Amino acid sequence: MGKYIIRRVLQMIPVLLGTTFLIYLLVFLLPGDPTDGRCGQRPCSPEYVASFRAEYNLDKPFIVQYLLYLGKLLHGDLGTNFYGNTVVSELAVRYPVTLKLAVMAIIIEAVVGIAAGVAAGMRKGKFVDNLITITTLVLISIPVFVIGSLAQLVLGVKWHIFPVTSTNGTFDQLILPAIVLAALNVAYAARLTRTSLVENLRADYVRTAKAKGLSALRTVGIHTLRNSLIPVITYIGASFGSLLGGAIVTERIFNVNGVGSFLFRSINTQDGVSVVGTVVVLVFVYLVVNLLVDILYGVLDPRMSRD
Amino acid sequence: MSDSEHLLEVNDLHVEFRLRDGIAKAINGVSFYLDERETLAILGESGSGKSVTAQAIMGILDSPPGFVTGGEVLFQGTDLEKLSPKARAKYRGPKLSMIFQDALSSLNPVFPVGWQIAEMFRVHQHMNRSDALAKAITLMEKVKIPAAKERVRAYPHQFSGGMRQRIMIAMAIALDPWLLIADEPTTALDVTVQAQIMDLLKELQEESGMGLILITHDLGVVASVADRIAVMYAGRIVESSDIRPLYANPLHPYTKGLLESVPRLDQKGQDLLAIGGLPPNLLAMPAGCPFNPRCRYAFDKCRAGEPPASEEIEPGRTAACYLAGRLEGAHA
Repeated sequence: MGKYIIRRVLQMIPVLLGTTFLIYLLVFLLPGDPTDGRCGQRPCSPEYVASFRAEYNLDKPFIVQYLLYLGKLLHGDLGTNFYGNTVVSELAVRYPVTLKLAVMAIIIEAVVGIAAGVAAGMRKGKFVDNLITITTLVLISIPVFVIGSLAQLVLGVKWHIFPVTSTNGTFDQLILPAIVLAALNVAYAARLTRTSLVENLRADYVRTAKAKGLSALRTVGIHTLRNSLIPVITYIGASFGSLLGGAIVTERIFNVNGVGSFLFRSINTQDGVSVVGTVVVLVFVYLVVNLLVDILYGVLDPRMSRD
Repeated sequence: MSDSEHLLEVNDLHVEFRLRDGIAKAINGVSFYLDERETLAILGESGSGKSVTAQAIMGILDSPPGFVTGGEVLFQGTDLEKLSPKARAKYRGPKLSMIFQDALSSLNPVFPVGWQIAEMFRVHQHMNRSDALAKAITLMEKVKIPAAKERVRAYPHQFSGGMRQRIMIAMAIALDPWLLIADEPTTALDVTVQAQIMDLLKELQEESGMGLILITHDLGVVASVADRIAVMYAGRIVESSDIRPLYANPLHPYTKGLLESVPRLDQKGQDLLAIGGLPPNLLAMPAGCPFNPRCRYAFDKCRAGEPPASEEIEPGRTAACYLAGRLEGAHA
């Protein structure tokens, strides 16, 4: 197991190098100039542009810029953006909000998704099953900005159940965005649970459990569910990884000040340093979560154990 | 329990599967009995209803689509079919128990084998975790699993096929059942391992005195262990007999065909006589005797009306055939 983890961590190095290089290149190739619009209605003076470019190494060739950036990255410095704030400090404000939102969404996803999937799987072909299957199909088909705006309009503006937007990322302000963010994943988790449960209920070991004289509750609740949830938990873990990358659309709709909106704003304002720094962190987090999910998979399914 | 009572008595059992394409009558009036210390072999091709019979006795038919539509299953005089599902579940484990063909898929892949054996004690006797696990180790030793203590926490996939079947057996005999049903317990195993498993079952039976129902399609396995044999075809018992006379003089053409299709050392070089054709489709049974399309003795009476009833031909031997006992002289 130890060897496996070390190998996986070492594999992250080329992935991180590749992603930073790509992102850096893309930001470098963006049209326009970061000094545009920094001097009010008139063009900036050549002296200011020159000193700005020198300060941020923009006067150097691309590959030199990239290597200088990598050097700083190795020291844990994600860079200082064009507004004089370090990317670390910008993320320190926003990541907790995104994390909170992601945790809330994942709890909704796990609880509602698994419960709905079990309810459907146990009553295969019955009314509950059809209801849940159709509902999840609808959720999967509607784009998130439609669900988000509708939820905001109905639950926030008309019925006043939830705050319409988020001002400082408190729990109550994040409930509605978390529900919207979870909606799509709930649908997938429910369908996956249902399929997996139906499949496992036909397994030979379920017949053995019955032959052992176990109650229906124990047969399904312990023997079948333990097997059925292996793919579901893996899926939920992986979706947590992507939720931690921030949700640009949902965060924008509800004005949540998380990593997603920060990234969106940074791209819009040509703030290359913030874009690259944020993406590096997001890629790293995603890789770590995926490693944890793979380890978890080995724990859940002894046949996959790497011992 | 009076002396005349059998350990298990199945009377006129009917099972049907209600499928989308129609009703498949899987079991059509099966009757047999079993006493303590006795081994009954139920022999038949795939689809003859032998596994369904076993599952119906256990009360673990997949329902829907499977339904017991008639008959009684008397266990020590109690009709199990009349019990509530809950009361019946309490019989499974302490009174009657079952092992299956494929031990790898029949054991739960995500729980250690010791845990799965210990579950019998925890659920039925409310024993605590550590006592139950100690019992599991004792049982694993009893079924001759080497290094039981070290392997009690291992998972099913970490054992060989023969060892896995031993674990199934340990689980099934955990609560000293009166009756053990073994559904093709050796089919998935190597020949040498098959013999070991059969020996183990025989040994455990001699020790505890339990009744054993052995479901198989392998005549070789039957000959060495069974006291009596019931041959099934299309959901009916076509012949039942003590073991010796059956091999010497089969009463039913189907049994005769089965015996002739077994390779024998003393008849080397001769062609094997396979039974032509396939078992009937349960959704579209032929009129008359279900075996008539494949039977080389069949005559007009066999092809119409109801199937022939089972009749006692000799003491302890019954067969469901108009020509039972007269096959030698019959025109083939």
